[in-house]
Amino acid sequence: MFYQTKLRSITLIAALIFLACYASFGSYFAREIVVEIIILAILAISLDLCAGFGGMVSLCHGAMMGVAAYGFAIMSAKLGWPLFPSALIGLFAAVVFSGLVGWVTSRTNGIFFIMATLAFGQMAYTFFFKSRWLGGDDGFGGISRFDLSMIGLETNDSLVFTYIGLVILLLAYGLTAIVMRSGFGRTLSGIHVNEDRMKALGINTAAHRAKAMAFSGFIAGLAGIIAAQHTLYISPELLIWTTSGEALIVVILGGLGTLVGPIIGAILLVLMKHEISNYTDYWHAFIGLVLIFTVLAGGRGVFGQIEYWFNKLTQKHQSTTKPHGDDHA
Amino acid sequence: MVTTMLEVKSLSKDFGGLQVIHDLSLSVTPGERRVILGPNGAGKTTLFHLLAGTLKPSNGEIFLDGQPISTYDAVKRARLGIARSYQKNNLFETLTIRENLMLAAAAALGKSTHMFKDTSKHADIRQRIDEIAEQVFLEDQLDQTVATASYGNRRQLEVGLALATRPKLLLMDEPTSGVGPNMIDRFHRLLEQLPRDITVLIIEHDMDLAFGVADLITVLNFGEKVFEGTPTDTRGNATVRDIYLGTGGDHA
Amino acid sequence: MDLSFWILQFLNAMQYSMLLFLLSIGLTVIFGLLHFVNLAHASLYMMGAYIGISVAAMTGSFWAAFFLAPMFVTLIGAVLYFTLIDRMRTAGPMNQVLVTFGLIFVFLDLVRMGWGDIALGLDGPASLSGTTRLLGVDYPAYRLFIIALGLGVMATMWLVLARTQIGAMIRASVENTNMAAALGINVSKLFFLVFCFGCALAGLAGVAAAPILSATTTMGITILIPTLIVVVIGGLGSLEGAIVGSVIIGFMETFGAVMIPSFSAVLTYALLAVVLIWRPQGLIPARG
Repeated sequence: MFYQTKLRSITLIAALIFLACYASFGSYFAREIVVEIIILAILAISLDLCAGFGGMVSLCHGAMMGVAAYGFAIMSAKLGWPLFPSALIGLFAAVVFSGLVGWVTSRTNGIFFIMATLAFGQMAYTFFFKSRWLGGDDGFGGISRFDLSMIGLETNDSLVFTYIGLVILLLAYGLTAIVMRSGFGRTLSGIHVNEDRMKALGINTAAHRAKAMAFSGFIAGLAGIIAAQHTLYISPELLIWTTSGEALIVVILGGLGTLVGPIIGAILLVLMKHEISNYTDYWHAFIGLVLIFTVLAGGRGVFGQIEYWFNKLTQKHQSTTKPHGDDHA
Repeated sequence: MVTTMLEVKSLSKDFGGLQVIHDLSLSVTPGERRVILGPNGAGKTTLFHLLAGTLKPSNGEIFLDGQPISTYDAVKRARLGIARSYQKNNLFETLTIRENLMLAAAAALGKSTHMFKDTSKHADIRQRIDEIAEQVFLEDQLDQTVATASYGNRRQLEVGLALATRPKLLLMDEPTSGVGPNMIDRFHRLLEQLPRDITVLIIEHDMDLAFGVADLITVLNFGEKVFEGTPTDTRGNATVRDIYLGTGGDHA
Repeated sequence: MDLSFWILQFLNAMQYSMLLFLLSIGLTVIFGLLHFVNLAHASLYMMGAYIGISVAAMTGSFWAAFFLAPMFVTLIGAVLYFTLIDRMRTAGPMNQVLVTFGLIFVFLDLVRMGWGDIALGLDGPASLSGTTRLLGVDYPAYRLFIIALGLGVMATMWLVLARTQIGAMIRASVENTNMAAALGINVSKLFFLVFCFGCALAGLAGVAAAPILSATTTMGITILIPTLIVVVIGGLGSLEGAIVGSVIIGFMETFGAVMIPSFSAVLTYALLAVVLIWRPQGLIPARG
């Protein structure tokens, strides 16, 4: 179950401050990296919602992000609609897509679920890849950023855009945290721990999981809108399975089921990727090994492990619980 | 006015040639405590599966409070007021006892799908948790994780989860199974203190408990009902004695 | 469209089905017996293709590649088994998926490191380079070879599982691992053998497919999706399911591509969706 603990709040604030400073005092390239981190972090938060709390490890979250991005791009750049409504349409499209995938897979678990989401993600990728009107493999450009000049913000300035991104990251985290702490989120955790008992308590677990996927699609969609506005250009690359794969690696690396872990994981992964890319072209192998190593090391991830040690340390100082009856048969 | 809470008519269940329940009929009045007795393999747990909806009958009908429920799935039956405690603990192992009860309370109070409010802070949920914890004697253990709680406490929680939904019909499958002699008294008290607006069906092997709490007893053997009557009549019945030869009433 | 066109498509569908079968049977048997989902299975298929190309380049013989590539892939599988797989067997499905998913990424770059990013071709054997007259059409002999290969493996597996001692041991271990072990079956050794056999099949499929599909860095994921769909539809752990699933998907994709080209891509996914909604455990699951 999710609780917004002090450790998590402190880590969240620290991460945001770090990113803000890195962007402010670094070069233009530093801001590019920070935006990349933001997009991946939001995507990973949306995945953690499903995987960490619902036990639904999905490999189609990249596709959810891509659907929102394409929806936004098509409405604004191709059809000339105003930007905010276009973004809403994009988000809506992502919610519909993930809701449908969630509905179809709602009675499956574990391995079948992963395989099915991989397949449906690939289906979305193929759809955009083959669409000549949307530029196929090359995608299309001509996308604009939100016009916030009425509140004095020049979104085409890379630093301003980065700050807005950080705000959206905080909002995405906050919204997800609120939902995970609500009745809905706690029931989702319950379904993950014991679906059978939840059914016996009268919960339609399949419908619940589908809704969780739909909400997850909304959060992933936020990442998609940022991605489209960042490069002012869109291509099917967002929907390739490796994007979903990276999101999964980030969640595991940071800490599954912690919501803050994905942000830490995104920072680590993007920074590592850029470092490694200076020396070699083969960073896929590297992040694959990172994933394997993280799982072999216990699977808690960097933040998850820190949290575990922290909880153990603080528990030693708590008073012991009252002795309970001896009654083992 | 409905005079039966649970009506079972000619219920049968077979698993591809193996007949587990055969032509079983019974009728339970509201507020009654009905004990189901029978040797291992008599079909008692299967009967509970059929009542709760986790198994579909091959034949026959089930009525809850006058409503036919044979075609309803487990989720729907739970919503209609059937709750169940399991012979083997079926708990939320990685959560605390409080969190377990919270999930049940939220489900019962219709708050499981609320997306924005922190339901653990709601008064009605807290109240329900406290009430149930008191009923099953777990008030002091609420913050323990289930996985590390004692077996007895876990059995108590098992009943607590079922009670938290304030069911019409409570199916208890061997509630004292595996519980040591020190705790049996606690379970006797627990059962005696259950409110009479709940109708209770209990599968039990503990004869003292069975005869102590039962209004009526139904005895099953090989999936069929072989006897039904008051505790006194049951004790004196020859057929029942034969079935329990060597394991029956002499066992304290 | 005349009859010969349909016969051609039928043969193409058979050939594609057999390729899918070779891959899915390995994946599903490994799951059925070891309860281990190896997402990197298609990566081994890719390795089979690339290694086959190298062997052929060094020896000048397709047949050398055909027999040696699966052996090398089995060797890789054995190394994986002792370093990772055996350790992960009790780690739970989630961790297995994560670890083998990580392996997909690793193999992707290993192939790029070893063979570069450009697609590579493999020439089929001279003996199978022409066409054969079958059912009134001239069909490439090599593709017929693949059909025969698939059918041969199918028949062999059926016979082995149904008629031999080892087959009985495998079936027993699939149904009830603990009981099988209690009966004295060396389950660990059996697992290792089955795993190696699955890897060999993947490598075989890779080198067999190379003359037709070429070796590319995306060939793994391209075949992984339909393979996973076959396994989901057919049910994990089931030989019959893998056969039925491969044929259904193979025919659907082949005929779909010629009859309704704009929608054919969606067909397979639509079928997957239908099966997941209607029978989430698959059409013919191995266990109930």
